[in-house]
Amino acid sequence: MTKADLMALMPLIILAGGSVLVLLAGAVRPGGYLYGLSIAFVALALGWTVGAPGTAVMPGLAITPFARFFVLFLGCAGIVALLLAAGYNRRRGITGEEYPATLLFALAGMGAACAATDLLMLFLGLEAFTFAFYLLVAIERDSVRGGEAGLKYLLNGTLSAAVLAMGIALVYCSRGTLRLSELAQPATPEPLFLAGVCLILLGLAFKLSWVPAHLWTPDVYQGAPAPVTAFLSTASKGASAAAVLLVLPMAAGWRGGHDILWCLALATMVCGSLAALVQTSIKRLLAWSSVAQMGYVALAFVALPAGGGRAAIFYAVAYAAAGLASFGAVSALSDGSDRDAIDQYRGLGYRNPLAGAALAVALFSLAGIPPAAGFMAKFAVFSAALRGGETALAVVGVLSALVGVFFYLRVVVALYMRPVEGTAAAAPLLTASEAVALAIPTLATILLGVYPAPLLDLLARILG
Amino acid sequence: MMADLHLLTILVFFPLAGCLLVLPAWRRPAAARPLVLGVMTGELVLALWLYASWQGLAALKPALPGYLLVEDAPWIPAFGIRYTLGLDGISLLMVMLTAFSFCVALVVSWRAVGEKVGLFLALLLAMETGIMGVFLALDLALFYLFWEVMLIPMFFLIGIWGHGRRIYSTVKFFLFTMFGSLLMLLAIIALHLLHARQSGVATFGLFDLIATPVPAATQLWLFAAFFLAFAIKFPLFPLHTWLPDAHTDAPTAGSVILAGLLLKTGSYGLLRFGYPLFPQAAHTLTPLFYALAIAGIVYASLVAFAQDDMKRLIAYSSIGHMGYVAIGIAAWQPVALSGSIIQMANHGVTTGALFAMVGMLDERAHTREIKAFGGLWGKVPLWSFFFLLFSMASVGLPGLNNFVGEFLVLAGTFTKSPVAAGLAFIGIVLTLIYMVRLVQEVVFQVERTPLPLADLDRREMCLLAVLALVVVWMGVHPAPLLDLIHGPVQLLVGGAP
Repeated sequence: MTKADLMALMPLIILAGGSVLVLLAGAVRPGGYLYGLSIAFVALALGWTVGAPGTAVMPGLAITPFARFFVLFLGCAGIVALLLAAGYNRRRGITGEEYPATLLFALAGMGAACAATDLLMLFLGLEAFTFAFYLLVAIERDSVRGGEAGLKYLLNGTLSAAVLAMGIALVYCSRGTLRLSELAQPATPEPLFLAGVCLILLGLAFKLSWVPAHLWTPDVYQGAPAPVTAFLSTASKGASAAAVLLVLPMAAGWRGGHDILWCLALATMVCGSLAALVQTSIKRLLAWSSVAQMGYVALAFVALPAGGGRAAIFYAVAYAAAGLASFGAVSALSDGSDRDAIDQYRGLGYRNPLAGAALAVALFSLAGIPPAAGFMAKFAVFSAALRGGETALAVVGVLSALVGVFFYLRVVVALYMRPVEGTAAAAPLLTASEAVALAIPTLATILLGVYPAPLLDLLARILG
Repeated sequence: MMADLHLLTILVFFPLAGCLLVLPAWRRPAAARPLVLGVMTGELVLALWLYASWQGLAALKPALPGYLLVEDAPWIPAFGIRYTLGLDGISLLMVMLTAFSFCVALVVSWRAVGEKVGLFLALLLAMETGIMGVFLALDLALFYLFWEVMLIPMFFLIGIWGHGRRIYSTVKFFLFTMFGSLLMLLAIIALHLLHARQSGVATFGLFDLIATPVPAATQLWLFAAFFLAFAIKFPLFPLHTWLPDAHTDAPTAGSVILAGLLLKTGSYGLLRFGYPLFPQAAHTLTPLFYALAIAGIVYASLVAFAQDDMKRLIAYSSIGHMGYVAIGIAAWQPVALSGSIIQMANHGVTTGALFAMVGMLDERAHTREIKAFGGLWGKVPLWSFFFLLFSMASVGLPGLNNFVGEFLVLAGTFTKSPVAAGLAFIGIVLTLIYMVRLVQEVVFQVERTPLPLADLDRREMCLLAVLALVVVWMGVHPAPLLDLIHGPVQLLVGGAP
């Protein structure tokens, strides 16, 4: 490993090292400053990525523009999640250095997954951040729901890890290599190899909540602390989408791969939208909506040869902004007990304008209504799908988007149009960090919706 | 020189910029209202100034034939989307109508809206931007963007300040329109891809796409998607069911804008985009279009006759009037099309005025039941006079504005399809019946319930006087407006079989 390699790898080293340092610092002097320290580490990693962009190829890892983009994207999500958690955790009595340290570790794992050049490193990265989420989901030790969610996530997660590992093993048995570039070479696909690819896809489907591997999503999203859900539903989805993008060339020449993704996309869009219709808890509604949203990412992957890759990443970014803003608003508005029922949001648009506006903008974005980023994202996905000849899937996507409009509007209606019943308790005031944490994704949502050209050009460049 | 001023961009975004002005006065309605009225009047003045100088602009020969002003800049190169705005005679008429209707909507809700005034004004301004954009966009993606953007403020307007089952109505309104629009979005993208495949150029520009030869079968599908979106907005029978609910439950300002402008975006879209892009498919579907329009006229008139709520009655009359616009477009013939376009403006003014007047009555009596009134001529003579005037305009009395539009539509359609014209004529008689009944029950009967009603105050007087002036002027001397749209109409019709 040369010095240049080390410099290129520095953002990941900062994140991983920062995680350890935060743990140590917490052991010496615990306190709220650890969140600030963690944010500083993430900001340093981001600054390094932007200021000293290096490209390096090492065994297992390659710091490419693709990887650097994802470090930037996921790091921004991490900063927002940390800002949210700082206020939320103080109100809820979640103390200790393990929260920010684990979050940094998750970011390092995501970075490694996005920079992977072989299946082993990909597996390590994916499982590193999933492992971090096992801790984060159940971090509220007294919460029954949190414990239940943690256990569910752990059981499902280990199963998917086993499936993923099995798939990798099968691929290795059949081809004798784990390097993604060699595996992407066109060759006659033998059954063992294809079985391996299918298992890998299934393992990743779990991370992306693709139907039928989605069943953990509503329970875990509801049970986990809201800032964790915000991070889990956005950054881990983004990193997993990157992983899919790295793995899919293996199945490039195989029609069956297309068919499997086609079915996944169809089932995910329809199932997520329909299930969200009947929810009364906002976290479950957003959870099912995130299932539906991942269906559109799958739709973009189906149309991969027609420019679906760019559409998928753009969609993931737009979804991340909206997800952070919506779960962030839930987190900022929750005090002692989670504000979970949609009815509890009546009139909040007036009592807490910033959080209400953030939630409303996020919901319009998720519904795909301009000028929010979600519209541009859907536009990108639908045009890729039509270019790829997936007309039927695009029509299904449009119809499930219409269903989506209905359930997203239910929340907006509660926020602004339903009268408050009885004497409602005053809405909690936002802390400064929460106000910033809500403003960043909200502004990003509007900006990407109005002027998406720079990001689209950047994506075109990194996907080469 | 004129193009360098970015007048169209100003026209579109000036109201939105006006929102910033409202922010400091957010909690002080008394200061915010005049400010916003100033912004809207400024917009109206700009529109009228453009109208005053349109012949000069036309002589300058801008980039596109028939257009007075064009602006064009790249916006999202990755998708081939450009920021293209264009103003021709038809757009100019619609722009004037928009600027005017928003002033009306603001003045009419001067006192009626007392809660959350800052938000109300900001939403009005945002909606004005959206609607201006719809009438000026010449890039299909940009058009679609504005088309959706204008829905959001209306959604809030009905949902927050509405009456009765406002939430049901506003969600229904939003879902109906979204259903049509989303399929249109797919059609827009499909057309774009078709063009890209043929010519290798990725563009959403209207005039590039018009030049794309589209196979007949594909054309039918794509046109069907466009047609559905526009027909829902129009609204054509049987897709109209959102309209009575939305109108009835909307605040008066919302009704004025819904009737005056949002319905027009449907007809405007059809004649600007639907017909020129898919001429053969449009030709194939013309009988269906006629049938739906005439069924709508007859059905809406019959239903209007049975209404007890004045606002609902006028809402149904809207469907009937838009039926004439539809017939004129279906005929796709210069005289009928001119009639349709004039009728769009006429209907916006008259129906807007009627909704405003019912709103005024509702503010005083807190009911809109026809049965509750009677004998108003003796009690509120000024109100009754204006109501009679606008009702007669709505019926199509010669000398008032609607007569011009309906006459041109029927005269033009007669040359193409005498049957359709004949059937549509029956509709005029039906309109006469239910409007005369309304006027007779409300204005002339004996007083049914003793309601303490005050006559119009000065603000309402001014507003109605201006509206009445417009109604009479457009009825007596429509020639300047017909001149304005003559060129663009010829260009449109020349481009289709």
